[in-house]
Amino acid sequence: MTAQSSRYILICSGKGGVGKTTLTANLGIALARLGARTAVLDADFGLRNLDLLLGLENRIVYTAQEVLAGSCRLEQALVKHKQEPNLALLPAGNPRMLEWLKPEDMRQIAAMVGEQFDYVLIDAPAGIEGGFRNAMAAATEAIVVTTPEVSAVRDADRVIGLLNSEGVKPIQLVLNRVRPKMMASQEMLAVDDVTDILALPLLGLVVEDEQVIVSTNRGEPLTLGDGGSPAARAYTNVARRLCGEDVPLIDPSKERQGLRARIGRLMQTKIF
Amino acid sequence: MPAEAMGAVVLGPQWPGAPGWLLLPLRSGDATAGELVERALDAAGLLGGAPLPAHLALVAGEWPLGVRELRALAERLGARGVRLTAVCSADPRSRVAAAAVGLQTCSPGPEGLAAGPEQSAPNPSHQALSLQCGTLRSGDHLEAEGSVLVLGDVNPGARVSAGGHVLVWGRLRGIAHAGCKGDALARIVALQLRPLQLRIAGAVARGPEDSPAAGMAEQASLVDGAIRLDPAPPVWPLNMSPDSPDRDGARSGGRRFGPNLPRPQAQP
Repeated sequence: MTAQSSRYILICSGKGGVGKTTLTANLGIALARLGARTAVLDADFGLRNLDLLLGLENRIVYTAQEVLAGSCRLEQALVKHKQEPNLALLPAGNPRMLEWLKPEDMRQIAAMVGEQFDYVLIDAPAGIEGGFRNAMAAATEAIVVTTPEVSAVRDADRVIGLLNSEGVKPIQLVLNRVRPKMMASQEMLAVDDVTDILALPLLGLVVEDEQVIVSTNRGEPLTLGDGGSPAARAYTNVARRLCGEDVPLIDPSKERQGLRARIGRLMQTKIF
Repeated sequence: MPAEAMGAVVLGPQWPGAPGWLLLPLRSGDATAGELVERALDAAGLLGGAPLPAHLALVAGEWPLGVRELRALAERLGARGVRLTAVCSADPRSRVAAAAVGLQTCSPGPEGLAAGPEQSAPNPSHQALSLQCGTLRSGDHLEAEGSVLVLGDVNPGARVSAGGHVLVWGRLRGIAHAGCKGDALARIVALQLRPLQLRIAGAVARGPEDSPAAGMAEQASLVDGAIRLDPAPPVWPLNMSPDSPDRDGARSGGRRFGPNLPRPQAQP
């Protein structure tokens, strides 16, 4: 029934605000640009905003809710991206849906989507309650997003424990919102500190980038552009590694310590 | 033990308000735990005796139960208006799974729950060792009757409590409680001892703030009512008799650490 090759990837973090939805949107676009048929599934029914980030809010007619109820076909609910026809969004239903949605429903809808797509990215809600468990039910592998903060790492650890007990694997790690300068001066948890605790293979490092905020507000994920910003390059690399390409990881705390970088930083420093 | 040897058995509560018991038989045959429970519930219903108790504690013995099985079981019971409240299991992984589902846990027998913590005598059962393979992550709580050996790390936010020793072949960064039934001779040993908090019997101490010397296993033991850190002796603690000369600070240089005292330096 389901194409064996489709990958159902849960994107989760436990803590809110670490960049699950941003990663989902950017990864979706990046995978689509690499030629993979990709669907992003918003499992954050309570506070949906994946559609906002992709700039597709005004194109939504039907949602997963109607598909499950049988009042429309899946094709009607899937929203194709404007610039990337390889990418489609399955919007979440209204927040009331949380009350009756069961893990089986989630599994069913993911399987339906998987028939037509190579990658199904599931954007999990924050927390570890019902909504997260529903999202987890549909996934066969996971990407855990965390930031180099103690609280985010702790929550990620809890989530990894839950994923392990549900048999979701492989689980890979994306370290988001890394500030190389703070890491170099040891004001922030180092990459090693995080991977030490979580003991997961690192799929990518994304540096803190103001452009992310701009792109979120515009509804155009960074990976849609020509990859000028550091975060956009990082997201694209995550997508390429996910496809099995061997892209070397760069530790940002060891990067940019040459003379040119130092002069560059000096010039960025505001004198006034 | 009631007559039916091969199936699961439902026992009524021992006093009003207490949970009833659901006893799984010894593991044999290829029926799953869920099927056995289903049959037992059917039997209890058919006999037409007392109604099913509203709360049941599952006495699982050696049955390995994962999160999925437990949840399915709770659903089956829920369909009959019975709430699963606790799981007694000899298998530590089942207990971790049960705790993850939000159930009370206790080790092997039904006595544990019935008696409550007050009645259990401080009886050192160090020799009974249970094994936990794999890292304990934040939110996990491993409980063991005797001593426990964790092959893996204990991450911040995770807890291990044992009636006997707590041994960690890895980094201990969570909370460990050895001798949680009052055994003051219990100790905590880890390849890297860097806990948030240590407890031995009734004593509590915060972990050291600075990082330990690399490659040195350490142990915490109770000396004069305070928890002290020493380099771990190269002896398997389960074989050690309580009055071994190596205990209680016969080794020189161990230091006490209470709230925030500095960690002992590496011993020569």
